[in-house]
Amino acid sequence: MNAATQAAPLLEGHWSSESDGEGHAIFTAEGIHCANCARSIRQTLESLEGLRNVDINVVNRRVSVIWDPSRLSLERILRQVAAKGFRPVPLVGEAAVRAQLQERRDAQKRIGLAALGSMQLMMYAAGLYAGAFQGIEPAMAELLRITCLVIATPVLFYSGAPILRGALADLRRRVLGMDVTVSLALVLAYLASVFNTLRSSGDVYFDSVTMFILFLLLGRYLEMRGRHQASQLTDALARTLPDTAQRIDRSTQGATRVPLNEIATGDWLRVGTGQVIPVDGRVVLARALVDESLVTGEPEPHVREPGDALLGGSINAGAALTLEVSRPPHESTLHGIVRLLEHAQSERPRLGLAAERMASWFVVRVLILTALTAVVWYLIDPAQAFPAVLAVLVATCPCALSIATPVAIAAATSRLAGLGVLVMRSDAVEGLANIDTVMLDKTGTLTAGRPGISHIKLQGELSRERALAIAAALEAQSQHPLAAAFRPFASGAIVCTDAQEMAGEGITGTIAGSRWRIGKPGVTLSDDHGQSARFTIADEIRDGAQHTVAALKDLGLRVQIASGDAAANVEHVARTLEIDLAGAALRPEDKLQRLRAEQQAGHRVLMLGDGINDGPVLAAADVSMAMGRGSAIAQTAGDLLLLRESLAALPKAIVIARRTLAVVRQNLRWAAGYNLAAIPLAALGLMPPWVAALGMSLSSLLVVFNARRLLRIDAETTSIPATTSLD
Amino acid sequence: MASVYLLIPLSILLIGIGVWAFFWAVDRGQFEDLERASELALEEDDMPTAAANAARVPRS
Repeated sequence: MNAATQAAPLLEGHWSSESDGEGHAIFTAEGIHCANCARSIRQTLESLEGLRNVDINVVNRRVSVIWDPSRLSLERILRQVAAKGFRPVPLVGEAAVRAQLQERRDAQKRIGLAALGSMQLMMYAAGLYAGAFQGIEPAMAELLRITCLVIATPVLFYSGAPILRGALADLRRRVLGMDVTVSLALVLAYLASVFNTLRSSGDVYFDSVTMFILFLLLGRYLEMRGRHQASQLTDALARTLPDTAQRIDRSTQGATRVPLNEIATGDWLRVGTGQVIPVDGRVVLARALVDESLVTGEPEPHVREPGDALLGGSINAGAALTLEVSRPPHESTLHGIVRLLEHAQSERPRLGLAAERMASWFVVRVLILTALTAVVWYLIDPAQAFPAVLAVLVATCPCALSIATPVAIAAATSRLAGLGVLVMRSDAVEGLANIDTVMLDKTGTLTAGRPGISHIKLQGELSRERALAIAAALEAQSQHPLAAAFRPFASGAIVCTDAQEMAGEGITGTIAGSRWRIGKPGVTLSDDHGQSARFTIADEIRDGAQHTVAALKDLGLRVQIASGDAAANVEHVARTLEIDLAGAALRPEDKLQRLRAEQQAGHRVLMLGDGINDGPVLAAADVSMAMGRGSAIAQTAGDLLLLRESLAALPKAIVIARRTLAVVRQNLRWAAGYNLAAIPLAALGLMPPWVAALGMSLSSLLVVFNARRLLRIDAETTSIPATTSLD
Repeated sequence: MASVYLLIPLSILLIGIGVWAFFWAVDRGQFEDLERASELALEEDDMPTAAANAARVPRS
């Protein structure tokens, strides 16, 4: 089952699973950078006999495959992917982390070299430009040109390598990407500059080349950082399960620690207090108390009798328990959720794909325009043809256009971080600006996840205060998490002696000479004469939740609740917060269905959740936000992560996101406008290449400064209506 | 003016040293934590550290 046990190096670290006669695996394919790469992998895999399904996510480069194990093996699939020039890397584990680390460091080095190189070249270029007007010794000009050549060469071939490689890959696949025109401009400008340096006359464009590379790399680096953050955190979800377990030898009763993948159905395992139950199983020997909040989101621990099912991923809240494994580790409930999550992620519609298609269209036109310029100038004045061609290629470079969005997103990201909202995925800001519906989980999101007493029904002549004090004295003896609700009511004067806890039933004890009991049915306090009081325990609504919901409505958003909790609790919260739409007792699948229905009705939904059972819903939402203080796992699935225990940042974040989108639109309009204005000037020969490069840099700077305005906007008082989507 | 003929090649050497130092720093992981550093400021200051907790335990 575990493919890693075979000795093939290609398979090392890869994990696959088999269920219902189907093999499943997910891996990362290094080298995917566009929709065309994804299509190429899909085509090559679909040609394999026995392959059932391929899902490819371009943004986090994940390939998810389902195959027929009798006709195909994972090794064959990986080999096919590798043969197409993409390197398959295991999703979870060291190799994946190391691959990302290497990618990041390479990018940092490339940017560092390009930045140092272009700064230095700008100084030499200033000397050359000044010399062109004021006169310069030919030998000095020669030296400056050669120095420029020495510095620009490593910048082009080391820093610019990903761009050049991308263009080559595009050409080999016979598609036209943005990399093609950019590389054409870079290589033409570089070759002409080398040529002019060697013949000691004419213009050199080395500074334009390096500056161009620097701006392009910065934009890509911002995009890569966001992608890495997102995938690292989702991989953490799969790592929640321990990788070893304590197996019990049934004859000797001795326990040994063994790797999880050696566990088989029917094994007995011991799980200590507070430890994670590693697999699905059944309780044996003694009654157990388990906290399933990680898997189901329910805050109350459950009693499980011998023979009852246990969910992998839940926590042992009672004494050490013994379980019999009912399903192998990779088929456990938590793994199922991980798979559901991965699937939901790969299904997400991507804006990036639209941009990629547009780029191809754009590139064809730029190349036609360039060729036209070359031909016309060749007929009029061959000497002017090359500068004009270069000016057209530089002027059409979508440099400002390509950083217009990333810089604004980066500024918004840091502004949001100041509010305690972390952006985990780069297009989350755009998603947040475009939503019209907010779907909220209840437990741990609208409520604090801490139990409190919401209602007391007195049934005897006992006073409210005394009933609470007696209950608190009894509950003080309990380890049950709900006992925390009574803690504030404990009184030093009323002490319980001779207390006994019956797991799942309640507590009995002697107080002031009489025998009291608290427990089933519900949470009922009774003595020998009968019931005295009945308590309703509920989660407290978070401070400020009311204000937040009102603010969200002011922003023109529809607000609704989707909770796994019982109807009565959900209705109470919905009434208090004046939320009309509330779904209760929803399983993860139900929530997903509810979300899909909203999306099909044309709504763009923000899901705010907490708890691992929200993972699939969070991933399928147009944009998702997880509460950071909740179970650590929920953080992994959110596009946005709310670090503070308060919801107050949510409406502010939406305001900032909308402002960001407005800035992005201004930036795109400016950058496109500059390109359109510069192209005729360049084609007519009115704009030398260095002016085109300078104009482009200034245009880029303007875009950057415009984006920096986002750092200073006041989200408190700004209220702007929802705007239409970007495209 | 003649000194410029020496200074310009020297500047190439300097930028080479700068690039080498930067690459060295990247390989040592100096730029790995840019993201977490920006989040550090958001964490609450009154979170007790392990060392502070240990100090609070009375020694026998």
